[in-house]
Order: sequence, then C-alpha cells, then structure tokens
Amino acid sequence: MPANNYRVRVAEASDMAATVKVMRRPEPGETSYIRATLKGMALTFKHLVNPDKVTRQYPEEQPDLSPRWRGTHRMEVHADGRPKCVACGLCPTVCPANCIRLVGGEDDQGNRYPIVYEIDEFRCIFCGMCQEVCPVEAIHVGVHFENAEYTRERFVYDLDRLMEQDHPSTLLWDPSDPRSE
Amino acid sequence: MAENSQTPESVTLTIDGREVSVPKGTTILQAAEALGNRIPHYCYHPGLSAPAQCRLCLVEVEGAPKLQPSCITEVQDGQVVLTESEEATRQRTGVLEFYLANHPLDCPICDQSGECKLQDYVHAEGRKHGRSREPKRVFGRDDFGGDILFYGDRCVMCTRCVRFMNEMAQDPRLTVVERGNRSIIDTFFEEGVEGSPYAGNIVDICPVGALVSKDFLHKARAWDLDHKPTICPNCSQGCNIDFHVRDNRVQRLKPRANLEVNQYWMCDYGRHRYEWMNREDRIESPVVNRSGRPVPSDWSETLEALHGRLQEGVRPVKAVASPFASNEDLAALRHLVDALGGGEIVYRLPRADREIPLPGFPRLSRRRDLAPNGRGAEILGMERVGDDEGAGGLDELAHYTGTLVVLGDELADLEPDFGEQAALYIYVGSHPSPAASQADYRLPATTFAEQEGTFTNHEGRVQRFWPGLQAPGLARPAWLVLGALAARMTGGPVPTSAAEAFVQAAELAPEFQGLTYESIGTRGAIINEPVALPGA
Repeated sequence: MPANNYRVRVAEASDMAATVKVMRRPEPGETSYIRATLKGMALTFKHLVNPDKVTRQYPEEQPDLSPRWRGTHRMEVHADGRPKCVACGLCPTVCPANCIRLVGGEDDQGNRYPIVYEIDEFRCIFCGMCQEVCPVEAIHVGVHFENAEYTRERFVYDLDRLMEQDHPSTLLWDPSDPRSE
Repeated sequence: MAENSQTPESVTLTIDGREVSVPKGTTILQAAEALGNRIPHYCYHPGLSAPAQCRLCLVEVEGAPKLQPSCITEVQDGQVVLTESEEATRQRTGVLEFYLANHPLDCPICDQSGECKLQDYVHAEGRKHGRSREPKRVFGRDDFGGDILFYGDRCVMCTRCVRFMNEMAQDPRLTVVERGNRSIIDTFFEEGVEGSPYAGNIVDICPVGALVSKDFLHKARAWDLDHKPTICPNCSQGCNIDFHVRDNRVQRLKPRANLEVNQYWMCDYGRHRYEWMNREDRIESPVVNRSGRPVPSDWSETLEALHGRLQEGVRPVKAVASPFASNEDLAALRHLVDALGGGEIVYRLPRADREIPLPGFPRLSRRRDLAPNGRGAEILGMERVGDDEGAGGLDELAHYTGTLVVLGDELADLEPDFGEQAALYIYVGSHPSPAASQADYRLPATTFAEQEGTFTNHEGRVQRFWPGLQAPGLARPAWLVLGALAARMTGGPVPTSAAEAFVQAAELAPEFQGLTYESIGTRGAIINEPVALPGA
C-alpha cells in the first residue's frame, strides 16, 4: 500500500501545470519611493502617539506575574537560619524530571537535615510537585523569571543558593478556593 | 476438598469464604497467610512467642462470643473465620486510632518510613483524621548502645525486641518499664545492648521506626532501595541475606528467611561488614605487562596473547585461590590448572578464635571460618595455608620460578616483588594490590556482589547468590575468564552462564554431582543429597 500511494502522488505532481507570472522590475528613475516612505513613516508616528500601545518598558517596568506563576525554586528557612527541609526524600521521589539531588544527614542538634540539596533548574520542568509534596513546606517554586547566568553550572542551585532566594513563593492554589470551583 | 485434608493431623476451616486445610496446631493467622491473606499484626513474629497483646490481629470466629486473637487461636475443624467482617474491620480501625493517639507522625524524618507497618495499616484501614485533642506524650530519643537508637514516641509496644533478647539472644537486656499509658521499652542501667552479638536483629523485627540502626540513620529512604537476594560472605554459616542497594552501593544488609540456615536472623558481625563491596579502587581493565610497563588492554587481545603464551609451553603451575570466591570461580581455576598440567592450589582463610552461636537457634552461629566458601575450596582439592589472620604461608610462592596463578586473594601482607621470579604470573582479582604489580597479566574480576554464583557453607549446603551491584569497567566473573582460558586449552565448551559453570564444577567434584541451579533454588541444597525441602 505505501508503495502504491507513493506512485500515485508522484503522478499527480507531474500532471500539474505550473503557471508563473513574470513581474517587471521598474528601472532606476522610473519611481522615487517617496510616497511609499511617507506612508510608512505616517504609520510609525501614529503608533508613537497611540494611547493603546502594548509595549512594556522592561526592565524599568516589571511585568505583573500571577501568584500561581511557577518559576525557579526557593527554600524556606527557620528564624535561626536553618533550612526548613528535613531531608524526607519525597521531592526527589516525586520529581518527574529527576532534577533534585538530596543526601540526608544529622546536624549537631540531632535534627535530620539535607547535607546536599541541589536542584538542576535546567532539568526542572516547573511542575510544582516538589512544593505540593513537601510535608514541611520547605521547598517552593517561586514567582520569578529572571534567571540569566553566565555559565551553565550556575543553574544547579545548591542549598545555600536556594535559601538566599527572596522572591515570593508560588501559590499552587487559591487558599480561598482550594478546589478551583 | 483436597484428599489430604482427610488425614487425622489436618484441619479444614473456612477463612473469608475460602476453604483451607492446614496441619493441626496451626494458628488462624498462619492459616490465613497460607491463603495469601496477611492479617495485620505487630506482636506476633514467626520466630518468637506470641503474647497476643497488640490486639490488631483480632478476627471474627463464628460462634465465638467475641473477637479472637488470630495469632494464638488454633484452627479447628469446620471453623468459619471472617477477617474482613464489619466487626473485625471496625475493631482494627479503633486499635489503630489508639496507636496513633501518642504516635508523633514524624514519617518525614523516620527511617522506617516506606517499610513501616503502622504506616501501611493506617493507610489501609485507619481513620482519615485523628480525634484526640490531648497532648501527646514525649519520650525523645535514647541511645541503646551498640548500633541501636530508640525513638520511644514511635514505639507501639509490641515487645518483639524484648522477646528477641529474652528468647533468641537469651541475654535479657531490654524490658518494659512503667505501666499503662506510660509503659516504654528501656534498658537495664546504662549497659544497653552494647556488645550483644545479635542485637541488630531487633531493628529488623521492629515493625515501626522505634528501633533504628545508627549505621543506616538518615542514609537512604526505604523506597529507594533495591533488595537483592544474596549470601552473607563474612563467615562460613552462609546466612541468607538481602543487599539493600542504592546508587550501585550496598547501603545495608538484612537477613532473608531460611528456616534451615539462619531462620530470620543474622549476626552483627556479618551485618556491618559490607563497606568493602563498595570499594572504588578497582582493577577496571585487563593490564598486560610489556617489558616492565603495564599496558591496559581489552579482553579479546589479552586472552589471545595469554593463550598464545600458554601454548608456548608452561613451567609447572602453582596457584593461590581465595575462600571468598564462588564454587564456579574456584572450579574454573581448577580446570585451568589441570589444563596446564596440574598443580597445587592453596588458599588462605582468616579464622576467629571462637564461634558466636545464637542461643535460641544454635544452628545459627558466627562460625570460626571468616570466609563464605572455605568448604568449597576444600571440596575442590585446595589446601589451606597461612595463619588465623589469613596471612602468611606464601613465602615459598613469592619467589616461585614456575607459572603462578592468583585468584581473588589480595596478597595484602606480601611485598611488591611477589612473583618477580615467576616465569608467568597471572593475577585475577578485583582490587589493585602492590603484590600484583609484577603480574604479567592482571585480569579484572567481579566481586561476589557483582556476579551470580554459589557458596558451600560449613555444613556443605550449596547456596546461590545473585548479582546486587553493577561491575565497574571491564571486570568479568572469574569463572568466565578462567573458564574461557581453560576451554581454549582443552578444546572444551566455554561456560556462558553461572549455571553452566556450576555444571562444569560438578564434573570436578562428586560432591556437587546431581546438583543444578534449579535444584538448589533459593533455599540451598546439601551436597550429595536430594534437594532440601523448602522451609516449612
């Protein structure tokens, strides 16, 4: 079947008559383009004074992000500066992109805490499941999008970096309407 | 109804509408298990006495005035048992609610999370929300000595640990102190379980995260671990164990039930000796010594060159084997040595000064021979040399001028000039060693943890183990390397699987004859005896 179809298609293509209209290009001196240029500039100046313009003066003017925007992560910290994470291992388990690396351990006060906590933001698909699964509300995706860096390595956020982030955390659902009803 | 149910010792009863025939004296819980119906329980453990105190295994028995604890109620003919009836389910939900009244629900930081019976049962049948408003009682954490930590808040007071120490270890170090709501497991004085050689088992039998291992504390989550069946390599008892593996590293060892070898237990000596399997200094590719310069090579080239060298004719052979190698590896070495004209094979075996038996099950003991396969080496006609440290005995071989083959032994006590005068020195091993530096051919072998094979334990039980880790680089099982060489020399078949290598081993030793991987199975088989029946 595929072979037959192919042959049919070839036959149709060769039957089709191609019609080409040849346009004559004006010789130099035959036209000045002045009228066309003025028409174009008139449109440009009209937009300059148009009150309905859509251009935003980024970065002076920041965009208004939704509270449910899911951007790069941040780690919540206790008042004494320790990360809230207890290294339970649920976020690396639930992460569909496998971008979280976690090594648990015990700190000097006998608390379970992450010795290593790294998120590869390049691998991350920003699904927000890490935030949803976290039993102690430590890891959050954030309302933030300006992530440019000079090297690729800088996109693997370690624990200190995650704790430094100060952008707002994402609301995964509206607290007044948790079921989106 | 099955025919055998008519025999006098057999009792037939109905559990949840299904008929089952079991021997007289069986409990309802065991009968239900035979049907694949696991009745929730904490205090009952097949290896210990049953005090029927957790009240979780209560089931409805028709005709009985109230619910019966299935772990101690013996089956009777014509009994009708309902484990899922409304009354039984309501009762379990209620008991679980009591358990949760004081449980801290700290699953995120609890090492048992993922393999916790309280988690499982509450998830299956517990209430969705607790109703208790009273503050929870708090005990905090207690160091029980040795490898054991105790989190009293998580405890469900099943007393399995107390009973293990009393009945199995017969070394009562734990007890229940206080009464009622305040009762808790505790140690006598400050002694704890320190020094008790089987205390690690109380971590295994703890159904919740109350008793945890310091060695494993916060190391890995239970659901991340692959369980790989294997045999403990640390003494000649041959306990059946599981590797718990994550990231291609053994994270801990856990006993696997085999009623004829180790029941449900293993000793702490074996339990904590696994780090060597994770060693990262490994021989990763064949290395050929070309006029004093070690040159990494690939397998086909190396074996070709080695075969050519062997065909040129060899001087008399002497070999060093290791009791840590499998039966298949040792037999392949024997095949090769025989193909080269025969010669003496020696092995060195570290030996402890005493056995450490488990008093409640004396068949299980930390044996004196601290290697898994000394018996296998003996069966294959090898000779033990050296002292009880597993050292010495090779001084003569160090300056041997014939052909020298070393399998597995790391030669840690020997000088770098070992084998310098040998006409041909072949070293097959896993780890680089100074004494292997003079080897003409240094061939990378897998450790037992990375290959399939069998060990023969002290009583002559051949037991299979399975690969738990991935071998690094070009490392291959020694039976494959040596078997391929021997086959080339003799023109025989090359073993393509561990099962075939075992068949070739059986050709060498009458003790192994009649055994195959199928007949050995997962329970092991005694040499030269019909297959042992699976554990009752």
